[in-house]
Amino acid sequence: MGKGLIRLKLVFEKRDPVPVSYRVASPVLAVLLALVLGAIFLAASGFSPLGVYLEMYRGAFGDWYGVSETLVTAIPLALCGMGIALAGRMLLWNVGAEGQFHMGAWAAAWVALSMPDAPAWKVLPLMVLAGVAAGAAWALLAAVPRAYVGVSEIITTLMLNYVAINWIEYLVHGPWRDPASLNFPLSAPFSDAARLPMFGYTRIHWGLVFAIIAAIVIDLTLGRTKWGYEVKIIGESPRAARYAGMSIERNIIITMAVTGALAGLAGMAEVSAIAGRMTRQLSPGYGYSAIIVAWLAKLNPYGVLLVSALFGGLLVGGYSAQFLGVSAASVNMLQGLMLFCVLATEALGRYRLRIVPAAGSDGDSDADRQGARADG
Amino acid sequence: MGTAENAVEIRNVTKRFPGVVASNGANLCVRRGEIHALLGENGAGKSTLMNMLTGLIRPDSGEILINGERVSMRSPADAIALGIGMVHQHFRLVQTFTVAENITLGMPTPRFRLDMAPIEREVSEFSARYGLEVNPRAKVWQLSVGEQQRVEIIKMLYRGVRVLILDEPTAVLTPNEVKELFDTMRRMAAAGETLIFISHKLDEVMSISDRVTVLRAGKDVFTADTASTNVRELASKMVGRELAPPPERPRGVFGRPVLEVDGLKALGDRGEMALKGLSLTVREGEIHGIAGVAGNGQRELAETITGLRRALEGKVVINGKDYTNRRPRAIIEAGVSHIPEDRLGMGLAGNLPLTDNAIMKDYREDEIGPGMVIDSGRATAWTRDLVSRFQVKAPTLRTPVRLLSGGNSQKLLLAREATHDHNVVVAVHPTRGLDVGATEAVHDVLLAQRSSGVGILLISEDLEELIVLCDRISVMFEGKIIGSLEREDVDIDRIGLMMAGIDPQGAAHGKGADQVEAGV
Amino acid sequence: MSSSKKLLVFITVLVALAGLVRLNGQSYAAEEKFKVGWIYIGHPGDAGWTLAHDEGRKYMEKQLPWVESIYVEAVPETSDAERMMTELARKGCKIIFATSFGYMDYVQNVAKRFPDVYFEHCSGFKTADNVATYFGRIYEPRYLSGIVAGSMTKSNIIGYVGAFPIPEVVRGINAFALGVKSVNPNAKVKVVWTNTWYDPATEKEAAKAALDAGADVIAQHQDTPAPMQAAAERGKYGVSYNSPMSKFAPNAVLTGPVWNWGPYYVSRVQAAKDGTWTSGDYWGGLKDGIVDLAPYGPMVPENVKKLVETKKTEILAGKFHPFAGPIKDNKGVVRVPAGTTMTDAQLLSFDWFVENVEGTLPN
Repeated sequence: MGKGLIRLKLVFEKRDPVPVSYRVASPVLAVLLALVLGAIFLAASGFSPLGVYLEMYRGAFGDWYGVSETLVTAIPLALCGMGIALAGRMLLWNVGAEGQFHMGAWAAAWVALSMPDAPAWKVLPLMVLAGVAAGAAWALLAAVPRAYVGVSEIITTLMLNYVAINWIEYLVHGPWRDPASLNFPLSAPFSDAARLPMFGYTRIHWGLVFAIIAAIVIDLTLGRTKWGYEVKIIGESPRAARYAGMSIERNIIITMAVTGALAGLAGMAEVSAIAGRMTRQLSPGYGYSAIIVAWLAKLNPYGVLLVSALFGGLLVGGYSAQFLGVSAASVNMLQGLMLFCVLATEALGRYRLRIVPAAGSDGDSDADRQGARADG
Repeated sequence: MGTAENAVEIRNVTKRFPGVVASNGANLCVRRGEIHALLGENGAGKSTLMNMLTGLIRPDSGEILINGERVSMRSPADAIALGIGMVHQHFRLVQTFTVAENITLGMPTPRFRLDMAPIEREVSEFSARYGLEVNPRAKVWQLSVGEQQRVEIIKMLYRGVRVLILDEPTAVLTPNEVKELFDTMRRMAAAGETLIFISHKLDEVMSISDRVTVLRAGKDVFTADTASTNVRELASKMVGRELAPPPERPRGVFGRPVLEVDGLKALGDRGEMALKGLSLTVREGEIHGIAGVAGNGQRELAETITGLRRALEGKVVINGKDYTNRRPRAIIEAGVSHIPEDRLGMGLAGNLPLTDNAIMKDYREDEIGPGMVIDSGRATAWTRDLVSRFQVKAPTLRTPVRLLSGGNSQKLLLAREATHDHNVVVAVHPTRGLDVGATEAVHDVLLAQRSSGVGILLISEDLEELIVLCDRISVMFEGKIIGSLEREDVDIDRIGLMMAGIDPQGAAHGKGADQVEAGV
Repeated sequence: MSSSKKLLVFITVLVALAGLVRLNGQSYAAEEKFKVGWIYIGHPGDAGWTLAHDEGRKYMEKQLPWVESIYVEAVPETSDAERMMTELARKGCKIIFATSFGYMDYVQNVAKRFPDVYFEHCSGFKTADNVATYFGRIYEPRYLSGIVAGSMTKSNIIGYVGAFPIPEVVRGINAFALGVKSVNPNAKVKVVWTNTWYDPATEKEAAKAALDAGADVIAQHQDTPAPMQAAAERGKYGVSYNSPMSKFAPNAVLTGPVWNWGPYYVSRVQAAKDGTWTSGDYWGGLKDGIVDLAPYGPMVPENVKKLVETKKTEILAGKFHPFAGPIKDNKGVVRVPAGTTMTDAQLLSFDWFVENVEGTLPN
């Protein structure tokens, strides 16, 4: 029976709690690892890694224009990510921010197009309201079945994205098509009053203020209110929450409505400030990237602000790398590599690899000795 | 060396776990071709013994003989190679696979090419031989619980198992399925297979087994041919220990009923009828104990009373008002405190600090914060008060409660439930897993509650605890109260019998009643 | 939160180090050439639209050695487009070509901020002092390719894999259908929409759907050769688009309208350099060489080629216009009376199908 054999095996052990030193070191390690792997890839493709990295950095953070553009990209990421993070606190996976973003943009555009002569003080608040309401309503379409029948919100929110995007496609190709634009798939442009103001010469718009306010409000609400307390308990242990008399259904509805509202607000800001009319391509996938943002930020609202700025920088800087001749596909790979490293070290940080004797073999010799005694 | 006619012989095995002796010189001798029942209360050491027999754990000392040969097993695979397999209470099947796929799953052969036809043929053969009716091409999720159990049995037979251990196989079955299972078991035994049947249910033991061994406190205390013993003897061997009579105490002053349950019916997690028309009453200043072997609906009872589980029929009346199927919050506000069985899974949120856990029932009150706000200063003060009054030992109030000892986390839970404005307590296994000191602390709290006029429903498996604390003990069996005794009339033998499903004063309950009567 | 902070700190440190090394000067240190920028919607490797522009860019570089061209690929029609054009302008580009319709508003925004930079927007309709638009009358070679398709079909069903129901695509379908009709009045053109510009899988599936419906010639408007490959797999014919695609499906591709942007790019860059650049709406045709027909496949018989060449000569000579009346729409209404020809404005906002087209347009 395998006498004298020492069997070893590798096991993953959960670290509990994860040491602080590792939590600090892991993102740094992750970025370093990504940079090194990326450098190997770039060097193999005949580029100077340092040059590419510097160009990416220059594009994203190198001057005020880069920083401002990074922030412009960060705004929709932050607003969507904030909502996703909030839902994540309750273990709800909102992968529908993209759709909620589009519905928010749609509703805001509808207000803007229906009142072309209204002054800004009238039309802009209405656009915000409409965007928020439409985003929330879109999220509720998934939240209600999730709360009362247990339909997975991951599937429903995802499917609703396609519905929303196709709805926009339909509108700009059909009823909303602007005859003045030669039947191209564009709505009529908004009036100047319906354009969310930008700051100075940059394209940074009021969406940034919305995002910061949202972060503060969410942080205060989660930390200081009874509702935030319920969200915390539900996220930690739904059974305990139910036991304590909390209504999980109600909280799913509220949380999903808020998460959708934030994505809808992002859509409103983007269509009003950046696009200025409804077009068929408003988002290069902000709602999806925001999922990564939310989880990298560990679901913390201020963390979402910070990570979206970094993520925005990664996206903005990626385009700049092309000026050195790096192809878009290579840039995408590089960006993917960085995210992968961050996520992987994050996940691995919760475990450690150890070599241990295989189960039972330590007790083996004991038993054999006893067996020998018994035989003797 | 062992006798070859014994399929399994366990000699004097001991197994210690930190703080517990799970097996303490236990013996078991199972003859080839017999159905051997293994009886014992929870914690008597049945699972430890069976885990040793199936290679999951290794004894600290003692020996195991299979077919007369001393063996040393290090994994279930080793056990199966020796012809020993177990059908667990919770099936280990892949729901989306077919029956035949599940049966071959994990087998070393065939390695690469999987030809299902011969496997399906073999499965049909087993089915026919032992009456294990099941379609080898059906997906497991399409099968009933009984059919899934058959798949587990065939899985073992397919692996060449000749000694089959069935761990409480009837717990999940309908009466008809039980009949079919017993029929299969008899046919297998007749064909020379050996079966070890683990059960709490004395009537079933009497009707199916050839021989029976009773375990208590990690030791075998009794072995006999089933025909030569009877339910009464087995029950007394099982409960066995000499229990001191309840300590003298003045008869309590019981007020009006605070909790009345009437004809309650509810489903268990697996859709079986867990409560079958249960009725009971708890009065002010009374501790009403519920004894019974775990799995007879105790958890479901507590959950249905507290609004966590839907009642299909019947009524739950709290302080004279009907609260059937109201939300948990309404029931909390009606004055019901709940000490759940699953301390860290339900009663507390393990990853959160003491403060968050301490305010879980009272966070809506102004004491914690005005209006919609939670005042962290008040929450901390609240927690500090609970911790000091109930002597909870914790490094800081920010420590996650999962890092507290069992006793301290239970004290925190108890402190919270006792502080919340209430006059009913539903306590489920409140001292399970606690050391002597913590157990005493819990008992003191419950008695103090009783003195202050709270009505307590105490569900416990620990008879000593019930006898010491309760003003009245009811025994729960298969979703019903089978009988009740006042404190003055407590008779340990009667309780033991009732726990096994037999009310000596009335008719026997459950299945196989006729045989049992004959046996008695 | 703390980890994200550390990430920021780390990046900041990296940047500070980079500042010390000062390696980022090389692009500015190079001798000043005349810089020209492009933004592409897709990849030059897409064998379609972007490839055609990129070949035009390369042609221009060869002709004008004093030019340094910079391009950015895969730029979506979102706020990213505005930034990339701004970046190109900031990098010193004197003239910037934006090669997708959806860049239109962003071109206007950037042009306002860089009045000294010339902008050229392909396929749009908004101009400004420093913004010109340019496009080609691809409907002319489309019409010619329709003659080939109409001659080759036996089932009299021709599949057309349409990109988006926008005027540019509708115009192409109609020109093609009229070409088909000129030689084969019984043939129908069935339109299948993909709502994609670049999605090989979807486009292949759409082509297969048309083939399943009985089509034996497939025409297309997307940037991938996938519909041609679908036709080849079934042993049917195809009419490609954008750039010659016969190497992807040599047995299927009959011919196809192609873009030839090079000469236009040369003239515009030269004009920008010379200071003679003016704004305008450029819409060149066969006679300007900006559009043409790809080389014929070996299966196209001589008599068909001859038919095409005759029509081509007529177009070049200005004797024939594909959209000369009478033209009925596919509901039987006469849209263009005999003796009249559609105006450019009508062509640019096309939203109906001609007689022999089967398909739907959103309204």
